[in-house]
Amino acid sequence: MLLAVLHTPGKVFREISAGNSQVIGAVQRLTFLLLLLPPVFIWVGSTLFGWRLGAAEPLYFDNTTRIIVSFLYLDALIFGYVTTVFIARWMAVTYGASSASTESLFAFFTVVCAPLSIATVAHLYPSIFFNVLVLIPSIIWSINLLYRGLPVVMNIPPERGMLMSSSLVGWLLVAFVSLLGLTMGLWANGLGPNLGV
Amino acid sequence: MTEKPNNISSREVYHDGVVKRLVQFAILWAVLGMAVGVYIAAELIWPGLDFGQYWLSFGRIRPLHTNGIIFGFGVSALMATAFYSVQRTSNVPLFAPRLAWITCYGWQVVVLFGGLSLLAGWTSTKEYAELEWPFDIAITILWVCFAIVFFGTIANRRIKAIYVSNWFYGGLIIVIAMLHIVNNLALPVSYNKSYSLYAGAQDAIVQWWYGHNAVGFLLTGGFLGMLYYFLPKQANQPIWSYRLSVVSFWAFTYTYIWAGPHHLHYNSIPEWVQSLGMVMSLILLAPSWATMINGIMTVSKAWEKLTVDPAMKFIVLALAFYGLATFEGPMMAIRSVNIVSHFTDWTIGHVHSGALGWNAMITYGTFYFMVPRMMGRPLYSVKLANIHFWLALAGTMLYILAMWGAGVSQGLLWLSIDEIGELNYSFTDIMASMVPYYGLRLVGGLIFLAGTVLMAYNLLRTMYGLHTVTVSPPEVIDEVKGTAYNPNAVMGGPIAGEAGQQAPAAG
Repeated sequence: MLLAVLHTPGKVFREISAGNSQVIGAVQRLTFLLLLLPPVFIWVGSTLFGWRLGAAEPLYFDNTTRIIVSFLYLDALIFGYVTTVFIARWMAVTYGASSASTESLFAFFTVVCAPLSIATVAHLYPSIFFNVLVLIPSIIWSINLLYRGLPVVMNIPPERGMLMSSSLVGWLLVAFVSLLGLTMGLWANGLGPNLGV
Repeated sequence: MTEKPNNISSREVYHDGVVKRLVQFAILWAVLGMAVGVYIAAELIWPGLDFGQYWLSFGRIRPLHTNGIIFGFGVSALMATAFYSVQRTSNVPLFAPRLAWITCYGWQVVVLFGGLSLLAGWTSTKEYAELEWPFDIAITILWVCFAIVFFGTIANRRIKAIYVSNWFYGGLIIVIAMLHIVNNLALPVSYNKSYSLYAGAQDAIVQWWYGHNAVGFLLTGGFLGMLYYFLPKQANQPIWSYRLSVVSFWAFTYTYIWAGPHHLHYNSIPEWVQSLGMVMSLILLAPSWATMINGIMTVSKAWEKLTVDPAMKFIVLALAFYGLATFEGPMMAIRSVNIVSHFTDWTIGHVHSGALGWNAMITYGTFYFMVPRMMGRPLYSVKLANIHFWLALAGTMLYILAMWGAGVSQGLLWLSIDEIGELNYSFTDIMASMVPYYGLRLVGGLIFLAGTVLMAYNLLRTMYGLHTVTVSPPEVIDEVKGTAYNPNAVMGGPIAGEAGQQAPAAG
C-alpha cells in the first residue's frame, strides 16, 4: 500500500473518493506507521549523532529527555493530523464539499503526508540544515498532493479544490509556526537545552 | 496623459492614465528592489561581493532594498490602486488630476534620488526612515498632494457611503503622514546630515512607534484597502460582511498604534511599556483575522460562479499568507518567545512571509486583474502567469523555511551556556554556520525574482502599444446632491469598459 500511495496517488485518491472500504482500511493502517516513523527516527538519530545545530559540537541529551522529546513529537503529529482532518471537514461545508466521509478524509491526509513522513528518515542524522534540505522537496510534494487530491476526494470542481487547498495551506502554516512558538516558549521556561535566559 | 482623446473631452472620464504609469513604476521598482535583495542575500554568503566599494557594502544597499521595495514598489502600487478604486467607488473622476500626475512622477524622483543618497552614505540611521531631511521634506509635500487628490475625490463623490477600501486607504494616508513627520523631526547640521530631536530610549520608542505602524498602516492597512476593493470585484460578490469590515477597520486602527514597543523587548525601556506592546499585539490578532475570514467567506460564497484565473489564485494565496503573518507577529511579540526569536533570522523570515506572501502576492493578483481591464485587452499569457504563481509560492516557502531553520538554530546557539554560565558559541562561529541557510534563502529569492520578471514581461506586453480604455462614471442618482447624473448627457452613446463597483467585471 505504501508503494501505491507514493507511486500512484491519483489512483488511491479515486479509490478513496469512490468509498472503496478495502483501500480506505489499508491506508488507515498505514497511518500508524507513518505517524510513528518521525519520532522513532529522531530518537535513534539524536542517540547516535546528537542534535547538530550547525556550530561546534553536537548537543547530546540524556535518554529520558530524548524519549520525552520523541513522545511530544508524536503527540504533536497526532494532534496536527486529527485537527487537520476536522478542520477540513469544517471547511468542506463552506466549499460545498460536505459529501466526503470522515474516514475518507483521514485516509486522504495519510496519503498527502506520506512523502513528508518517509522523508523524516533524514532525522536519523539530526543536523537542522540537512533536515531542512531533505524536507523542503517533500513538503512541496505533499502540498502538490493536497492540491491534486482534494478536489477528487471531495468531489468538487478543481477551482473550488484550489481555494480549499489554499485555505488548508494557511492553516498548516499557522499550525507549524505555533509549534515553533510553543517550542521557544518551553525553552525559555527551562524545558530542553540549557539556555541563558 | 494616456487616455484616448476620441472626441470625448466634454464627458467625464476616469483618469486611468496615471494609474497605468504608477503600475509601470511599481513593476520597475519590484524588479530592481528584489534584485538588490538577492544581491545582499548573496553578500551574506560571499562578503567579497562588495568588491571593497563602500557603496556596494551591505550596510548601504540593505536600506536601498527595503526603501526600494516599501516606498518604490509598495507605495507606487498603493497610489495606483487607490486612484483606480477611489474613482470607481465614488462614481467620480479623480480630483485634481494634474496633481495626481505630479504626485506620481515626484514620488519616483524621490525614490530614485533617495536610493542614490543611501548608496552615497547619507543616512539618518533610523530603520525604514533612513532618508535624510531634504528627502523627508519632499516626501511630506508629495504625501500631502496624494492626500489632496484622494480626499478631494472622496469629497466630490456621488455615492453617499464611503466604501470600506477608502477607509483603509484614508487611514494609510493620515497615519503615515503623522508617523513620518513625528519620527523624522530632526536638527539639520548640513545638507546631508541631521540629528533626531529625540534622545536615547525616547528615540527608540518613537522610532518603533513609526517602524511598526509603517508596517501596520502601509504594508497591512494600505494593502487591506487593495483587498477590500479587488477581492469582491474579482469574486464578483459583495463583501461577505460589510459590518465586520468596518468594525475590523476601527479595531485595527485603534490597536495597531500601541504595538510598537514589542520591537524593544528586554531593552532599556520601561517594562510596562513592553508588556503593553505585547498585549496590544496579541489583541491585534482579532481584527486581523476578522479581515481574513471576511475575505475567505467572500470568495467561498461565490464558488458557483467562480472561474479561477491567475489573479484569483494570487489573491487567495495572499490571504493564506496574511493569516500566517498576522498570527506569527503577535506570537513573536510574546516576551518568552521573543527572548529566543529576537535578533535571529526568524524575524527576517516573518517579515518576508508578509512582504512576499502577502504584499507582493496581493499586488500581483491586483495587477493581473487591473491591467487587462484598463487596457481593454486580455492578459498576454495566462500560462506565464500560472508559472509565476508557482514560482512565487515556491520562492516564498523556500525563503521562510530557510529563515525558520536559521532562526531556531541562532536562537538556541546565541543563548546556549555551559555549566558555569559561559556562552558556548561565539558570534562568528554562529554566523559561519548560517551559510547553508543563506544559500537556501538566496535560491528562494532568485525563484521569487524570476517570477516577478515573468510578470513584468507579461504585463508590459499586455500594455504594449495601447492607451487605457476610456471609462466614465455610470449613470446614477447623485446620492450626495440628490440629483440625477448622466455622464452621457453631452455626448451620448455607450461607454467602453466597466461601469462602477457593482457591475460585472469587463475585459
